[in-house]
Amino acid sequence: MSYDILICDDELHILRAVEFKLKRAGYSVRCAEDGGKAWEAFQAQRPDMLITDLQMPVMNGFELIERVRQADEGKPSIPIVMLTAKGYEMACRELAEQWGIQAILAKPFSPREVVEQVQAALAAQVS
Amino acid sequence: MNRCGVPFWLAVCSLALSLAAAVSWLAQPWTGSLSPQLSALLYGGTTALALIAVTRICVRWRRQLAQGKHAIQGLLARPEHDFQDEKPPTISLPADHPWRDVLMHVAERYHSLAHRLQESEDARAALQAQLRKQAAEHERASLVLSSLNVPVLVVDEYGELVQANPSAERLFNFNADEAYRRAIKNITRCEQLLDLLNDTQRRKSHTTRQEEIQLPGPDGMPRWHEVTACSFTSEAAKEAEALAASDSGVLAHSQPSQGAVVVLRDITSQKAAQQRYAEFVSAVSHEMKTPLASIKAYVELLVDGDAEDDETREEFLNVINSQTDRLHRLIDNVLNLARIESGVVEIHKVSQPLNSILTEAYETVKPAAEAKNITLVSALSPLYLPVLADHDQMLQAAINLLSNAVKYTPEGGTITLRSRDLDGQVQFEVEDTGVGLSPENCERIFDRFYRVKKDTHMASGTGLGLPLAKTIVEDMHGGRISVRSTLGEGSTFIVTLPSAAELG
Repeated sequence: MSYDILICDDELHILRAVEFKLKRAGYSVRCAEDGGKAWEAFQAQRPDMLITDLQMPVMNGFELIERVRQADEGKPSIPIVMLTAKGYEMACRELAEQWGIQAILAKPFSPREVVEQVQAALAAQVS
Repeated sequence: MNRCGVPFWLAVCSLALSLAAAVSWLAQPWTGSLSPQLSALLYGGTTALALIAVTRICVRWRRQLAQGKHAIQGLLARPEHDFQDEKPPTISLPADHPWRDVLMHVAERYHSLAHRLQESEDARAALQAQLRKQAAEHERASLVLSSLNVPVLVVDEYGELVQANPSAERLFNFNADEAYRRAIKNITRCEQLLDLLNDTQRRKSHTTRQEEIQLPGPDGMPRWHEVTACSFTSEAAKEAEALAASDSGVLAHSQPSQGAVVVLRDITSQKAAQQRYAEFVSAVSHEMKTPLASIKAYVELLVDGDAEDDETREEFLNVINSQTDRLHRLIDNVLNLARIESGVVEIHKVSQPLNSILTEAYETVKPAAEAKNITLVSALSPLYLPVLADHDQMLQAAINLLSNAVKYTPEGGTITLRSRDLDGQVQFEVEDTGVGLSPENCERIFDRFYRVKKDTHMASGTGLGLPLAKTIVEDMHGGRISVRSTLGEGSTFIVTLPSAAELG
């Protein structure tokens, strides 16, 4: 069974590129165009991993992660990778620690790197 | 002799006659035996001699008296500037004049007194002049201080307010006359300001310290101030210090600190400008990174050979192409906005018909509307509507408004471009049947990089099209731009410009 990965970004081209790359790597991928839709998708079926943008309409990346982590309570938490154009302005390490984010990738990012991060995070979870 | 009066001579004659009578009467025992002629001669001679002697004495007295009077008058009649000379005056009296010594002495004393009086008069005049000069200087300094629109406070070495200008009174809300010699901590409770003041005053040497401090403004909202505190040592403090030094140790513990002049400069707008600039740079880089992220991602997919068929490859190349265009548009808009704001862009305003600009914009946007199956209606006024405008810039503003409408109107919608004469002004509007705006979005739609979040999927805008149109219409042409909208029904952007006919 392939891992189910939920991707959330309001920039449709980015969403499509990441989806394409992950599908080629053999993952099952679901896409959401904003935080609200991602949260609905999460509730409908808990994914194995979440990749989310930070600045999004309806619900931003941090709000989404907060809800996911609350829903995660009592269960092993799912790995999260964040994509953001605000990479240089954020205290990435502190935020990553606070929210248990595996990686924060600054835009423009490499889709190859996203796949590597996903593989590493899922492998770490299995072990 | 001619100055002697008749009464004087009468007195002299009568005195002489009395003397003669007395002599003749006293000489009677001895003159009785003499012949009457001899007696008469004797009486006559004696009387004449006496008369001559008395007359001479009287004449000399009279002369001396006149000389003395003349000398005294001469002394009194001396011009004032003569007393500036420390040398005593000479008395024009003969050496044997009986009053000479006394008058010399009197003249010396008189001269000495007059000289001292003259000196003190001069000193008083000099002091008065200095006082007038100082009063003028003080008045000038007070005038300068009160006309300064930056608040200034002067605090003495005991931390008491000794001077403040009207700007300071307004800022701290007090009356300088009532607050004179009141402790500064009773005038402001701003801890940061009091600490700065305290720190400045405690320094041994003269010092200037500066800090950025927030203080409540007239409307209660905090405003940023650059506060400069400069210490000074007053004359009183210097004396106290000298006393402390001479009285070594006794007063050393009570040695006062320094006074301080506090100048506050409102830097709220500079802070806001810095903040806006930082936000602008941050927003521009964010907006640039978004298309760049797509370009990089798709280039990498192509490089990695992820696109296996021509259709996918073409799709990826089209994304790269459209995102490159988006980046190009963004850079152009940023540059255009910066050039307009910095005044670099040359503006050539000429009177021209508004309708011809609008028609040009209509033709430019028409292909994009048709591609989305949107009906673009031109309902321009048949009237001649002259505007004094820069053709290229006004065309850009109209295109931006029409493109915006095309972006946010779903397929099959309608966009109507209208123009009209409006009582000395000209107006055009772009009405669409698009997604519409909430009241909150209507307020912010002209902010840079503000894009209605839920609609971002509809268009790859730069977030600068409407702000640029606003700058062109309002800042460059003195017009007004506004929006009227109902969420879900559509929006109307209205531009009002001064008519060139009205401008003459």
